[in-house]
Amino acid sequence: MTIPEKIAQYREDFDLFETPNEKLEYVFDLGKKHTTLPEEDKNDATFISGCASAAWLDGQCQDGILHLRGEGTSEMAKGMLTLLLDIFNDRPAQEILDFDPAGLSRLGIVELLSPVRQQSMEAFLEKVYGYARKCAK
Amino acid sequence: MSILEIKNIKANIGEKNILKGLNLSLEKGKVHAIMGPNGAGKSTLSKTIVGHYDVDVTGGDILLRGESILEMEPEERALEGIFLSFQHPVEIPGVSNAYFLRTAVNAKRVHEGKEELNAAEFLREMKKTAETLGMKPEMISRSLNEGFSGGEKKRNEILQMQMLHPDVILLDEIDSGLDIDALRAVSEGINAMKDGERTFLVITHYSRILDYIEPDYIHVLKDGQIVHTGGPELVAQLEEKGYESIGAAG
Repeated sequence: MTIPEKIAQYREDFDLFETPNEKLEYVFDLGKKHTTLPEEDKNDATFISGCASAAWLDGQCQDGILHLRGEGTSEMAKGMLTLLLDIFNDRPAQEILDFDPAGLSRLGIVELLSPVRQQSMEAFLEKVYGYARKCAK
Repeated sequence: MSILEIKNIKANIGEKNILKGLNLSLEKGKVHAIMGPNGAGKSTLSKTIVGHYDVDVTGGDILLRGESILEMEPEERALEGIFLSFQHPVEIPGVSNAYFLRTAVNAKRVHEGKEELNAAEFLREMKKTAETLGMKPEMISRSLNEGFSGGEKKRNEILQMQMLHPDVILLDEIDSGLDIDALRAVSEGINAMKDGERTFLVITHYSRILDYIEPDYIHVLKDGQIVHTGGPELVAQLEEKGYESIGAAG
């Protein structure tokens, strides 16, 4: 499944909910599948600076494929990390670089996030694209 | 094979002795109907099976798949697969229908060792099921039963039943307050659950619902005891000649 297809699949899910609150509750719900990082992987290199709550993202490149693992501390961060990792994880770095992150607006929830949360998402994406650029080299 | 066995059960509500040594065996996969005159103890029987706090069991036993359930809390009995459709479903303002049902469905899934459904997976299933029952889409997000008509409440009971996949289904006066369209929709919803595995206990005052949900056995309850058991032909006899014809007049 391509990144836009994955986004379209989530859009279908979000469209099931009538109110913004229900859509955001679904993000929290996704966070129940949130995984954690081992303590030794939570360091300055993986810390996502600019996130509203503490969050880490580790990226490992293997044969041009970017493997991502992350951990968030707030319920919203856990949900958003789970959602975004499901979209970006285990993909060729070049596929990520070819995708314009503005396309995430098609999820239909970005505009529901507070400015601080939107900024957190941008910080996350910056980290993902940083790893992807290194991996694609 | 019996899935639920009620053995010589005696139960009080308050000071009043309602069930007086009732014996009943529900065969797996069959539809059993309980009929009886007013005050016979029909609703008390369903309350006793689910462990309602109104009921004080003073003797006897109830076995589900051979194990006693009398010491279980109502929610434990529900997790084991017993479902009661209430005669008068309660309204819970502030708790959305979807949220309420998802909590119940996921509690049962966890009990069965299955993964919980996320909100989207659940809602997709709930919308599909509600549509087959002819329910308006907005009823999914409204508060549980709040402001629902009698027919809507009963359809909602059937929706819960279909989503929870119970093994033993108790329907207490499911037809009360239903117009003919709602009765048909509710009956179709119940019939869709008949799979030769699930067991139904239809508690009814009138025979009308039994035109739609064909029973395998009819049990007549009088004065807290089962006084007669027969096949579906008993419905016509009771309708025509009344309880007196089998010596069970109220």
